[in-house]
Order: sequence, then C-alpha cells, then structure tokens
Amino acid sequence: MSGQQVRGQSAVGQPVAGSTAKDLMYRVPRPSLGESRSARVTRAILLGMFVVFMALFIMGPLAWLGIRAFSGTWHYPHLLPSAWTLKWWKQVFDDPTLFDAIKLSLTLTPVVTAASMVVCLPAAYAFARFDFPGRRFFLVAMFATNAFPRTGLFIAMASLFYSLNIMSTFTGLVVIQLIGTIVFMTWIPAAAFAAVPPSLEEAARDAGAGPLRVFASVTFPLAAPGILVAVILSFLAAFDEAQGTYFIGAPNYVTMPTVMYTLVQHYPDQVSAVFSIMLSVPSVLLMLLVRKHVMGGALAEGFQLR
Amino acid sequence: MGQGKAAEMFTKLRGLLMVAPPIVVIALFVGFPIVSGVMYTLGHTGGANETIASIAQHQHVSTGGLGTLDAYRDVFGDNQFRRSLVATIVVTLVSVVVVMVLAWGIALYLRLANNWVAKTLAALAVVPMFIPVVIASYAILTFYAGDGFLKTMASQLGWSDAPVLSYKMSAVALGSIWVSLPFAVLMIASGLAGVPNGLIEAARDAGASMTRTVWSVLLPLTLVPTVIAATFTAIGILGSFTLPYIVGPTAPNLLGPIMANTYSAYNQPQQSEVMAVVVFGLAAVAGVAYVWANFRAAKRSGATR
Repeated sequence: MSGQQVRGQSAVGQPVAGSTAKDLMYRVPRPSLGESRSARVTRAILLGMFVVFMALFIMGPLAWLGIRAFSGTWHYPHLLPSAWTLKWWKQVFDDPTLFDAIKLSLTLTPVVTAASMVVCLPAAYAFARFDFPGRRFFLVAMFATNAFPRTGLFIAMASLFYSLNIMSTFTGLVVIQLIGTIVFMTWIPAAAFAAVPPSLEEAARDAGAGPLRVFASVTFPLAAPGILVAVILSFLAAFDEAQGTYFIGAPNYVTMPTVMYTLVQHYPDQVSAVFSIMLSVPSVLLMLLVRKHVMGGALAEGFQLR
Repeated sequence: MGQGKAAEMFTKLRGLLMVAPPIVVIALFVGFPIVSGVMYTLGHTGGANETIASIAQHQHVSTGGLGTLDAYRDVFGDNQFRRSLVATIVVTLVSVVVVMVLAWGIALYLRLANNWVAKTLAALAVVPMFIPVVIASYAILTFYAGDGFLKTMASQLGWSDAPVLSYKMSAVALGSIWVSLPFAVLMIASGLAGVPNGLIEAARDAGASMTRTVWSVLLPLTLVPTVIAATFTAIGILGSFTLPYIVGPTAPNLLGPIMANTYSAYNQPQQSEVMAVVVFGLAAVAGVAYVWANFRAAKRSGATR
C-alpha cells in the first residue's frame, strides 16, 4: 500500500493518476454529539494557539529580517524601528561586488541546471521504465554518496580538482553545484515517468506512433509537472549552494549566497537584510510556480525508491 | 518485453547506457573522493591525497599494511570533538523528534479536517522551502539574538533577563527544525493522502475511535513515508554546515562547522576527514532504515500488483 497505488491505480479502483493530494482529502464527520460545548471551545483555543505559535515560529524570523531592511534607527527594546529608510537598498545597488555576485549567480545557475538535465533526465527515464542489472544498487549508491558530509567531500575533492585543473574555475563551480542537483533531477522525474500508465504508451504505439512520437506526445506531457518540479528544485539547489562554491570559487568567483558569508560578518545588519530579500526573490517566485505540484506529491513520490 | 535473447540484451544495455552519465559523475566527483578521503584518514598520504597531505599539519602517516588508526585516536582523544559529537547527536535526535511530531500533527489534521485552518498550517509549514538556507540562518540568528524578537517581546512583557538563544545549540536545533519541516510535512501528507477513504470509513464503521483509527490504520500505512522523512531529516542535520556555522557557537557545535574549522583554521585536513567519516557512519545508521523501508514497500506493492 505504498504511493505506487496512489499515482497509478488506487487500491479501491478509482483512477487517481495525476490527481493532487487535495482531491483525495476527505472530511471525516466529527462526532460532535457526545462532546460538550466547553470541550469544543477548549479545543478551538488550543488549535488557535498552535496556529499562532507556528505562524510566529515560521514567519517571525523572516518578518523580523524584512523590517530590518527598511529600518533607519531601531533601538532595543522597541518592537518597531523609530525611523524608516531606503538607503540600505541604494547601498546594495551601488556596491559593484554585490552586483557582480548577482550577475555570476544568474549566469552560473542556468548552466548548471541545463547540464543537470542533460546528464540526469535520460537516466530518470531508464530508472522508471527499464530493468537492468544494478538498477537498485545505483539507486541506493546515489542516496548513499549523498549522505557523506559535504565538508569532508570538498576537502577530499580538492586534490582531484587541482589535478583536473578546475580549481577556481567556472567549470569547477559547475561541477560542484551539479553534484548537488543529481538526486533531485534523477529521482523526481523517475517517479513522474513511472506514474505514466504504460497502457497509454501502448495504445499510442498500437495506433502506429513511433517511439519518439510516443515519448513526445504521451510520456513527456504527462511527466512534465514532475520534471518541472525537479528542474526548479535543482535550480534552487544550485543557486543556494554556498559552501562548495566558496571552497572552490573564492576569491575569484563570488556568487550571491557566498557573499552572504562576508556580509553577515563585515557589513551593517541592514545591508545583509536587504541582500537576503534580494536573494530570496528567485526562490520564492520559482517555488510559487510549482507550489501546486510540490504540495500534490511530486516531490514526495521521488523519494520512494522502487 | 523483447522477443529473444538479443532484444533482451539490448534493453539491458540501453538502460545501463542511459543511467551511465549521472552514475559516472557521482562516481568520479563524489565516490572517488570519498574513497580517497577514507584512505587518507587511515594514513595513506600518497596518490590522490598527495596535494592535501603536502600542506597538512599533525598528520598521521601509515607505515604499511592496511593503515593506521592514529588519526582516529587523535580525534577521539580530543575533548572538544567528543563534546561536539554529543551535541551533534543530541541536536539531531531532538530535531528529528520535534519535526516528526509537528509534521504528523499538521499532515494528519490536513487529512482529516480539510478546512482553512488546516490549509493555513500546511501552507505555513512549507514556507521554509522557499527560502535559501543562508538567508534562513541569518533570519533565525537575528530573531533569537540579544536584540532580537524573542528578547524584545520578553522585555515588553516585563521579563528583562530572558535567555538569548543565538550562538547556542538551542538556536541550532530551532533552525534545524525550521529548515527540515517542509520536507517532512510533504512526505507524510502525501503518504496520508494515499490511504483510501474507504479504509478510514470502514474502521470508523466498525466502531474504532479516531485515535484508534490513526494508530492502527493511518500510521501503519504511512510508515514508509514517515521513515523516509525521518531519515532525510536526520541526514540533513548531521551533515549541515551553513545553519550551525552562522547560528551556532564556535565550539562545541555540530560537526559540520567543526570539521570545516579543523581544516581551514587549524590546517588539519586529516582530522577533519576523520570527523566526516564519523558523521557518515551516523548517517549510515539512518540510511539503513531508509533503504529497508523502501525495499519493503517495493516488495509489498510488487506482490499486490
């Protein structure tokens, strides 16, 4: 009774392929008869407190940072600044180092994402559709190597990067960010391909379509949402990668997240806050684009090995 | 699929060829460094480790045979390391438990009462996924700092000596929970969504209470996603660097920043690599559960297909 049946045919026989978690939600009638009014009120209050607590816990740090980006003078223990300003934004836009970092991030990340697609998508299809010797071993190996601490990996990698002459180069950065995307770009599309009912592909083949035609007009469109989720998560993984990028690229190549390390230590808090907001914009926009699919299980499906 | 042996061979070969690119990339840039890194911890300073060994200090070199465990003895003999190891294990365990409780609570509420409160909670829980870790770390640092929200609020309410959590392990744990919550909620919500309504209704019709239904229907059927969520949370926290580096104390801290510091500040890559192997060992314990849960599930669904 794993997710397999959810995406394909469910146990009770309803075709639910492509349905989102939302469609499957179901309201269980609450037995309110035996419950006293006060018990209901208590429960509502507890629930309300939990929602407020979660809102504070999750959104609080972000809101606090957001206020800081516009604060002129803000003294403890006041909950809000006494003067507001936009000067920190001007300072960030006028700083050439920060601007160069933005430029590098916006060129590097698309290159990494494209490379990741070329390397991983055929493999994702093969994992979903073909049985071959070592299939399970490769799936587990991908996961296992991913569990080795990055710091240890980067130190051990240094020799290899020196001997390949890619230390402190653009290529080196592409490689270091690429390895962080491989699991996303292989596992999530593999689950998306696996969820395409083989009967649909067969029907297209029976109607005379060639293998490429079947892939282009049946398999790919149905798997597209899952692939999009993988592409965006990989883009963000590469965009946000800071430690390896710093290790390989600094001081010649400085991306947006690696600038943050310096900002936090050497700049006024407000500048870091402004830069944080700018750095979050691509993530927030891209995630909003795939929010539905991510919430609907495209990500969760990818992490169930089969 | 294929007719005859030749076609079968072709299918197998095609599959292997298609998965080769990511496997080769992983083998070359992750697998090979890990192997040489482990060799290095055992005192093998030649071959791929020559560059790093030439600049390292306090190195333990193997004199032959399989190698030496001197570097491990050195690291484990260090009090600071042992305290960081304990801190790493405690923070990981506490965070995983809290994340799982929160994620289960939110996912279960979403499954059973699909109202606006449940949707708000779920939407809140996935917000951290939208935020780069560097930013999240910085936001959490300022929120719990000496002039942060928590202190400010406490002071407004008349509690002037409220604790400062930033630069302490408690902030690292809070941050780890913050960062890990979305994935766990998505995994478990997706698992719960896969439990057919009919099963829940049947249990309720048979007179089972809601608690009983959760315990003996929903929980067993969502075991695999739960294990996956717990493992990935644990492995993510064990290997994390940016969050404890920005939010945590200098030492003892999680082993991620400690090993980075051992390398860059003390110039001891071998000791640093030993710590990486230790963390990898801890991650392997969690990883075994993940692999077991997955293949158990695959076997089950294979049997029912």
